[in-house]
Amino acid sequence: MTDASMSTDHAPAARVARVPRKAPVRISPTRRRLENLVLQVVLIGAFLLLWEYASDRWVPKLMVSKPSDIWTQIVRWLGDGTFARNLWVTIQATALGFLLGASAGMLLGFVTGAWRRVGEVLQPIVTAFYTLPRLALAPLFLMWFGLGMEFRVMFSATIVFFLVYYNTYFGVREVSSELISAVRIMGANQLQVALRVIIPSALVWVAAGLKISVPYALVGVVVAEMLASDEGMGYLLARGASQFSAAQSFAAIAGLLVVALIVDWLITRVTDRALRWKTAGVPQN
Amino acid sequence: MLLDIHDVHFGYQNEVELLQGFDLQVERGEFVALLGPSGCGKSTLMNLAAGLLHPLRGDVDFDGAPLRGLNREVGYMTQGDTLLPWASVAKNITLPLELRKVSRAEREERLDRVIRLVNLADAKEKFPSELSGGMKRRALLARSIVYDPQMLLMDEPFGALDAQLREVMHQELLSTVARTGQSVLFITHDISESILLADRILVLGGLPLRVMEEIRPPYGKNRVLAQVRNEESYFELERHLRELMREADAETKAAKARTLAH
Repeated sequence: MTDASMSTDHAPAARVARVPRKAPVRISPTRRRLENLVLQVVLIGAFLLLWEYASDRWVPKLMVSKPSDIWTQIVRWLGDGTFARNLWVTIQATALGFLLGASAGMLLGFVTGAWRRVGEVLQPIVTAFYTLPRLALAPLFLMWFGLGMEFRVMFSATIVFFLVYYNTYFGVREVSSELISAVRIMGANQLQVALRVIIPSALVWVAAGLKISVPYALVGVVVAEMLASDEGMGYLLARGASQFSAAQSFAAIAGLLVVALIVDWLITRVTDRALRWKTAGVPQN
Repeated sequence: MLLDIHDVHFGYQNEVELLQGFDLQVERGEFVALLGPSGCGKSTLMNLAAGLLHPLRGDVDFDGAPLRGLNREVGYMTQGDTLLPWASVAKNITLPLELRKVSRAEREERLDRVIRLVNLADAKEKFPSELSGGMKRRALLARSIVYDPQMLLMDEPFGALDAQLREVMHQELLSTVARTGQSVLFITHDISESILLADRILVLGGLPLRVMEEIRPPYGKNRVLAQVRNEESYFELERHLRELMREADAETKAAKARTLAH
């Protein structure tokens, strides 16, 4: 018997012997989301219970506080307006820092992207500043702007600036010269090319960068408040720690968590709408 | 005569002049293919016709008048995807009309006409990311003819398509320009593409660039490409052009090597 005939003899037998496959189960997306949510709640609940139990038994309460104490603290701050006042300060500074950083970043990004020579000269300089740890600027900023709002806003703006700058710069540079030629022949003048092609295409990148840069604006403000300030969520956080009140620090973190989630949700809504064309036609999972 | 490139000199700085007294004429309604090896300077000719480049000496006349600045009487279609990704197909196609300040009512009317001409009516509200490669080509074609330019400048417009789709697009392009009566200056390095589409083929090569041979495929305006592909003369032309292209390529390369040696 040749090898070939052996293999043809054996192949059907092997096929029969194989266990029939089960059809894959397809869970509806809603069901899946619900299941995931339940799992997440259970997981977090279990963690909080463990925390509550372990506090003062396994770990000193002074260090980690416990969920019930933190909750009491949150309720107290909600009641006496501490939360509202400090949250407002933080949110204001975040918004201003973002606006300032983003507009400066867009402006410089556009200029360096659109004029090749300007870009060649300035871009390495910007990159040099980018590699500088932003925290190193804090003492100078404190000296210049004092403890108030300006310090927080400027500090967060420097963080946002670079993110938006790079997005805009590459957005402008990415526009193909072929596209620009085509649009000019279609009848566009220089201004129309900028308004119709270059800016929208850069804005797309900026919108994509928003999702990253807005949370960073918040980070910048909180860090600034922790470093030197007498109000804001970062201040509450740092004050709690310095007074060995872990409950206060955790309550402040919980407040920041809520703000961050809301901001993220808002940004996702806005950018999803702005970038609908980008995801259209691409299968979503 | 619609396009008249006459005794044109052109070159890039620090390089041997690519064009030294080059002539190229395109009649009204004529489909001219420029066939040549990659990098021989075909696209430079097209950009001269588009007014994106200007001759150092000599004249580029369009529609009887010397060309100054950009040539806005042409449609311009290249290999790249130059649709605006954030605008719908309809918005993309009517962009030139908008830029030319055509009224909304007329924009709608013209959009309706060209979108049916290129078989894209169902995809009107879609974004480019939702289109297949062939549909994108159709949208680009529609955009370049929507303002009734007298001439289409096409630089390897179907270069990125697979062979089957390219055949479909060839027939569609021919029937479209047959209906609109537009002239076409078509750049390609694909031999069969040039035979199938053109009334006249100019084989280009060498440095300075010269027309190595001029060929007129005898298939007329209303050719059916599936038939042309079976003609004996088609195969003969293909063989002949392949030979020519090899010479052109060798000549271009040799000339470039010579200038490098200097």
